[in-house]
Amino acid sequence: MVVPTKMLGMPLVARISERSPGLFNISLSVILFLFASVAFAQPDGEKLFKGNCASCHKPDKDMTGPALKGAVARWEGKGDIHAWVKNSSAYLKTGNPYATELFNKWNKSVMTAQALSDEEIDAILAYADAYVPPVPKGPDPTTVTPEGEGSNWPWLVVIALLLLVVGLSLSGVKRSLSNAVREAEGKEPEPDMSFGQRLRNWAWHNKAAASILGLFIVVFLILKMWDAAWVIGVYGGDEVPHYKPEQPILFNHTLHAGKADKGNLAINCQYCHSSAEKSKHAGIPSTNVCMNCHSAVNEGRTPEGTKEIAKIYAAVGWDGKAYTGKPEPVKWVKVHNLPDHAYFNHQQHVSVGKLECQECHGPIDEKMDVAEQWAPLTMGWCIDCHNTKDVKMAGNGYYDEIMARLEETDMGHAELKKYLDDEKISVKELGGWECAKCHY
Amino acid sequence: MSTSKRNPAITISALALVVLSMASCGGDPNSPGVEYMPDMYRSPAVEAYVDYGQDPYHFSEELAQGQRNTQSAKLPPVGTIAFAADASKAQFNMPYTYPNTVEGYEAAGLELKNPIAMTEATVEQGKVIYAKFCQHCHGEKGEGDGAVVTNGNYPQPPSYTAALKDLPEGKIFHSLVYGKNLAMGSHASQLNKEERWLVTRYVQYLQNGGKMQREMAAVVPATPAAAPATN
Repeated sequence: MVVPTKMLGMPLVARISERSPGLFNISLSVILFLFASVAFAQPDGEKLFKGNCASCHKPDKDMTGPALKGAVARWEGKGDIHAWVKNSSAYLKTGNPYATELFNKWNKSVMTAQALSDEEIDAILAYADAYVPPVPKGPDPTTVTPEGEGSNWPWLVVIALLLLVVGLSLSGVKRSLSNAVREAEGKEPEPDMSFGQRLRNWAWHNKAAASILGLFIVVFLILKMWDAAWVIGVYGGDEVPHYKPEQPILFNHTLHAGKADKGNLAINCQYCHSSAEKSKHAGIPSTNVCMNCHSAVNEGRTPEGTKEIAKIYAAVGWDGKAYTGKPEPVKWVKVHNLPDHAYFNHQQHVSVGKLECQECHGPIDEKMDVAEQWAPLTMGWCIDCHNTKDVKMAGNGYYDEIMARLEETDMGHAELKKYLDDEKISVKELGGWECAKCHY
Repeated sequence: MSTSKRNPAITISALALVVLSMASCGGDPNSPGVEYMPDMYRSPAVEAYVDYGQDPYHFSEELAQGQRNTQSAKLPPVGTIAFAADASKAQFNMPYTYPNTVEGYEAAGLELKNPIAMTEATVEQGKVIYAKFCQHCHGEKGEGDGAVVTNGNYPQPPSYTAALKDLPEGKIFHSLVYGKNLAMGSHASQLNKEERWLVTRYVQYLQNGGKMQREMAAVVPATPAAAPATN
């Protein structure tokens, strides 16, 4: 239907009546009917609640303000809830005793005036009254990660030993059988010797084989010891089980920092470890950072989670509404222990090197309910990355300065050309392998 | 040379036990292992996040007792102002004077102005900070649909494009310093004043629907949705 331009500003009813006055009466009744069924239909209480109320009220629990569930019943016969919601401070001035009581009970905090109609307020309160807490979305944190596969070799050894036992008992059976045969043939039975005696006997008669076997065993053991020596004091990487200490509060990294499409909260690592780009240390968040969210979240997805959140409250001194001023330190266990003779700085690697946290700390946002030492933190691991990784030079003030200095002189130019032989500039080429870069 | 007959199975079982016990030693996820030459592992100078009460190498028991449970993350002494090497940034080290009250909030909204200009560069810097510190609740476009709200059933923050469209910059900054209501905590320990002003620029950029113009803070004295100034 094309509406003439002059009619655009008019109300719909007026437009229809102008076009066909004869139809007006019928239209009016139809429109009134539609109006009654459509426009007076419930406004979307849930949407209105989330848009206007949810930052301070929960349907079923007290937060900044009281739970809205049952608010209608609580106000019944005590005052005008609509006027209260629309402008609480104006309503307070009327001296309504219940309003004054509420105002005092909630620490005299003024509720923001709401530009809502009576119907919308009714819809919101109806939504709150009918509210049923949703079943939490997302993966069950208790089943997110299967237990890390432990190393298999102790079991292989056990199986080998069992096979040896079976073999030896079989050889015992064979010996008694052959003795029985010899007895039947009228010969002397073989002398009964212990395992050690027979081994020595065999070695004496097969000197070459025994020497070669002995050599193999010695070389094998030395190699094993050599490998073992490499991982002394190494608690991460592919070679050894990762150091994964139990923390005083069982914080779940995957739940907090994991991907949103997997039902996790997708909080940036640096929200909590905010000093990673400003200081040597990535920083363990003090409990006030936990409380930025957990003052409003006091229930975990599991009963265990709720217990862990209660530990934060105990540490920060929070009674559910206010701080008691009696905090207790949380004794987090340090996971990554770099010896004092090696210098490492997070700021350099995060701000200048533009590394992602996961490049050194592993898939901490995907499958680490409990934080563990993922990288070996050996010197070999450090300098390997300094040798192979391409430095992100573009748009980086620190490297702009280095490039400018290199391009100042002919010698610098020659150096730069040498660096670019393999079409990339590594940290090593910029001096990252000098001892004093990390040891001073 | 012993002539007694020993069952080889016993010897082998004993060996297996030794092997198993060794394996379990190395695999304890709670053990940071035995320190090999600890002399150079531990810093005698005080480092962050080390409880010196637990250090058996450099302190006597008496001294260690005194150091035990000393916090390593501390606030600067009251009344001190950090030194700024760059004089133009000194203003960001000055204390914030508006109190954490309804009156302080309203006053900040009226008087407080962003010392950082709205340029493409500052919006870009603000966006980086926003992505790290705000996005998980307020959502990518500021509509209050971040993962913490959608997946975590967290109280939904009002949208920058609807309820908070005309929120003045002073109030945005004030809320960053002290938090707002119960659902938003103070971000003053995570963001310094310069970063707070930068992220305020990006929030305004979102309020403008992804555009830089509409320097609205100066024009709008108080928002219709705001609480009355006094009561």
